[in-house]
Amino acid sequence: MKLSVKISVSLVILCLSIPAKAQNAELFFKASGSPANPKVQASWNKYYTYDGITDICKRLAKEYPGLVILESAGKSYQGRDIHALTITDRKSGDPGNKPGFYIDGNIHSNEIQGTEMALYTAWYLCEMYDENRFIRDLLKDKTFYIIPTINPDARQYFMDSPNTQHSPRSGLVPMDNDRDGLYDEDGYDDLNNDGVISAMRRKSPYGTYKTDPIDPRKMIRTEPGEKGEYEILGQEGIDNDGDGQVNEDGPGGYDPNRDYGFNWEPAYIQSGAGKYPFSFPENQAVRDFGFSHRNITGSQSFHNNGGLILRGPSIEGGGAEVFSRDDDAVLNSIGKKGELIIPGYKFITLWKDMYTVYGGELDWWYGAIGSYVFSNELWNEFMMFNDTSSIDPYEFDRLLLFEDSFMAWEEVDHPDYGKVEVGGFNKNFGRTHPGFLLESDSHRNAAFCIYNAWVTPKLEVRDVKVQNLGGGLKEVTATVVNTQLMPTHSGNNLKYRIDPPDYVSLDGGKVIAGMIVTDKDRNLNQEQKQNPQKLEIENIPGYSHVNVKWIVKDGSKFTVRIESVKGGRASAESE
Amino acid sequence: MKTRSGLLFLAICTSLAIHTHDACCQYRDHSQIASKAKSLASQYPAICSARSLVKTAGGKDIWIITIGTGDRDNKPGIAIVGGTDGKYILGRELALGFAENLLARSGDKSTTDLLNKVTYYIFPDVSPDASAQYFAPLKYERSRNARTTDEDRDFLFDEDPCEDLNGDGAITLLRISDPAGKFIESKEDARVMVNAETEKGEKGKYSVITEGIDNDKDGEFNEDGEGGVNFNRNLTYNYEEFGPNSGLYPVSEPETRAVVDFLYDRFNIYMVIAFGPQDNLAEPMKAREQPGSQSPGERTGQGNMRRERTPLTAIMKSDETVNKLVSDEYREITGLKGTPPVVEDPGNFMEWAYYHYGRYSFSTPGWWLNVEKGKNSEAEFLKFAEKEKLAYANVEWKEINHPDFPDKKVEAGGILPFVMYSPPADSVSSLTELHSRFIMKISEMHPELEFLDLQTENAGSNLYRITLKVHNKGLFATSAEAGDPNIWTRVMRLTVQLSAGQKIISGQKVQRLARLNGGESAEFSWLISGKGKADFTAGAANTGQISTSVELK
Repeated sequence: MKLSVKISVSLVILCLSIPAKAQNAELFFKASGSPANPKVQASWNKYYTYDGITDICKRLAKEYPGLVILESAGKSYQGRDIHALTITDRKSGDPGNKPGFYIDGNIHSNEIQGTEMALYTAWYLCEMYDENRFIRDLLKDKTFYIIPTINPDARQYFMDSPNTQHSPRSGLVPMDNDRDGLYDEDGYDDLNNDGVISAMRRKSPYGTYKTDPIDPRKMIRTEPGEKGEYEILGQEGIDNDGDGQVNEDGPGGYDPNRDYGFNWEPAYIQSGAGKYPFSFPENQAVRDFGFSHRNITGSQSFHNNGGLILRGPSIEGGGAEVFSRDDDAVLNSIGKKGELIIPGYKFITLWKDMYTVYGGELDWWYGAIGSYVFSNELWNEFMMFNDTSSIDPYEFDRLLLFEDSFMAWEEVDHPDYGKVEVGGFNKNFGRTHPGFLLESDSHRNAAFCIYNAWVTPKLEVRDVKVQNLGGGLKEVTATVVNTQLMPTHSGNNLKYRIDPPDYVSLDGGKVIAGMIVTDKDRNLNQEQKQNPQKLEIENIPGYSHVNVKWIVKDGSKFTVRIESVKGGRASAESE
Repeated sequence: MKTRSGLLFLAICTSLAIHTHDACCQYRDHSQIASKAKSLASQYPAICSARSLVKTAGGKDIWIITIGTGDRDNKPGIAIVGGTDGKYILGRELALGFAENLLARSGDKSTTDLLNKVTYYIFPDVSPDASAQYFAPLKYERSRNARTTDEDRDFLFDEDPCEDLNGDGAITLLRISDPAGKFIESKEDARVMVNAETEKGEKGKYSVITEGIDNDKDGEFNEDGEGGVNFNRNLTYNYEEFGPNSGLYPVSEPETRAVVDFLYDRFNIYMVIAFGPQDNLAEPMKAREQPGSQSPGERTGQGNMRRERTPLTAIMKSDETVNKLVSDEYREITGLKGTPPVVEDPGNFMEWAYYHYGRYSFSTPGWWLNVEKGKNSEAEFLKFAEKEKLAYANVEWKEINHPDFPDKKVEAGGILPFVMYSPPADSVSSLTELHSRFIMKISEMHPELEFLDLQTENAGSNLYRITLKVHNKGLFATSAEAGDPNIWTRVMRLTVQLSAGQKIISGQKVQRLARLNGGESAEFSWLISGKGKADFTAGAANTGQISTSVELK
């Protein structure tokens, strides 16, 4: 009965999805490590609009119903659904009972390629599931939670509206940045209507810039005493509100990544913060997603740029966060592996090697949820020529992109400045990957996430043994093993008791006493007087094991179960 | 003059009053507050409105009463907040009572004048879930809302509340005769339990816990009762992560968020007065050097990510001056002596309103027992209770049976809940009157702009030089200094609007006006070509807008 329903459902899906199905396999020869003929056709040398993201998410959910659940984590300010993909082999257990790995991208609107990294990971896991044993095993054990963009409004705004490569960092909730009672009244103005905000230059006998004799597109500063040709007048814009300032109050005007409820500080201390943590609806969605998926053991955010793998703490001393020696070992071990997986990326500590961040998403995942977290700054100039010394973007654009990313200088009339010229790099260049490098870096970053998910705790129950003690009593012993790197509880998790302890339970017989065996050879035990059937284990560190023992009456068949919020579940039976 | 003598009379009344009533029933409960808020709005429809902002987890309304005239949200605003901590039940009466007193006097000229200048936003009770415990069949001091939480983080919720073991309708203390106990009877009053000081040769005789049993058998008593989150620990300043009753994150509660949003949305509010545990009226805050706290130039626009300055941890110099002035008025008007005990609440409302909201912020419990330094406050309270003949003050120690101590002598007793934080009910009305007068007095010091010395000089050739001063004739600065770097306060603008054919030769069309201290003024000038009318406006929501014009001819 059940089977026939299944078949008919999949037949319907088959019929409906013919246009999206894999193409004729005869056309392809598989390259190692990539799906040769994916069911969800997607290319990774371009950026997806919100509708493009929605389309891929829906197609993944449709083609892989046993692996993918597509949900909305909440609505953005402008009412877009924030798509959340849950990816795991659902035949092998409840997704919420496996160690979870969370990925999001694009918290900063202009840092768009984080979305492609997240989406590629989702796509890759699904498309490789049938053909790769490692991925198959991984999805049996782990659950991936992937939110390709947690900032869909301003992503779309970056693409559709005139912007620089740096704007907007903010979401689109209106803010009064210049404190005059008007909201978003003086943003950029696209003087030449090319969809990009570029620099303004004006010919001037007193200018301190000239064009580069090697590449005249480029403006260079004059040497002292040298006569200049141009003055630079900032980014394209006019003083819309007549207050003497240009472009001082554009759309939004806050930093979504200073809005998280851990180590939060207000904007006078931490520029970009809102009124209080979780001021913005997109971050509320992430908050609610995190609080309702306590199994998320590891997490990853994608930003740009600089080629960095960032770990916390984000402020000196960590504020309310603690990092134990074990936590440092876990983070450093994964981070170092990341440097190998993604050549050119450097593994650094945020506050120490970059800058201080209060109320960042990173701190919240670690501090409030107890999940190990990394944030990758995607793309760096090294990737242009695979060289740390040749990093001239003009040369790269000329030799590899054939000047596709440069908006030629163009004369326009400015209401205050008169005749000016606007030009410079397109907004899709400088911080985002050029197309031909996007797939490669997506794969490397996906591989980093996959590695990171793989090293989340893997618990096993071994050696369930029963020994008759006489007088109707039996002794049941077992060993719970964590065969992976991560502990079930980080130091921060332990400090604040974020998650319950791990529970090792015995089914079968009547439990008289239960204890954790602290030293098997010398018979040292730690007895649990209350509720001995369900032993509480504070933490199971990486690559370690815990011995347990019960004294029971009756029963012949015994099952030992381990349940851990972040470490997953396992059980074994006595022989 | 008149006010002074009246005040004196009231102060005497307060101190002479003899309290014989049961403390219950003269404080108003949630529904009485709600019906009073509604009746004030219907009685004074032209100047007063009342509405519920939000419902708490316990289903109770957060009432906001707005009193003012005209364009209320664009003139200097004052927020008055009661119930920042639910166990300080007096504050609710002081806040609501102010609304009643103000409206009752709204026919007087001085009150009418005031209401033309300022707007009041009054929250009688922002902790209604907690304060309801005062009126419940079982009384205990409660600061938590009705959100179910796991206070002892054992992954059970609200599993170990207090129990009324002696059946007197109140949670007091239990003392257990125990040679390993740390407590003894106080030498000042044997009814009071104090820590034995071994260095003085004292030996403990009792263990002391709050009244109740260990429901979850974890060795702790009453550590995870009903609720919740304490409003006064749920704000962003100095917030304690995973702190007791602080919530899952700052501003996590619907009522906290609604109150904070309401305040942030009103840029005209320049002062907040709270009635709760914190005090800076009996004892004003002290300024001190704050290294690295210099405000950098303002930065706006996109892409800012770096830290701007270090957190403020002490009152700013010019705000200290105002705090002192206000505190002097407070002591003089209320006649209250001494200072209340210092209560440190991380994430509290009063410090939030100053350090994070950037407004003048004042707070007082409104009443306290003036305890001499070094004396035991509970023993002093018992003396006070005897002197004032308080019927509801203390429960004598009496043996009870306690299931967790079957073989030990357990007695229930001690000071009754609320009485240390709230005055006898029959002094509420006089305290309300005094606090109302205080609020009205300091309201009169509100910032107020005026143009002074507007001068026009004909510079010939159709050119005119205009100079004028913008003067703050109030005693408060146009905004608190703490608000200077705060993006949630407005910056005053000075704007000149010219007629057709006129042009600015020198000077700015729109310029920012820096904060003006009380009595301070700033001078501006323009050089304008062309005849006609020039209009000047100055101000921001928190000062109101003033305007003037000049005809150039």
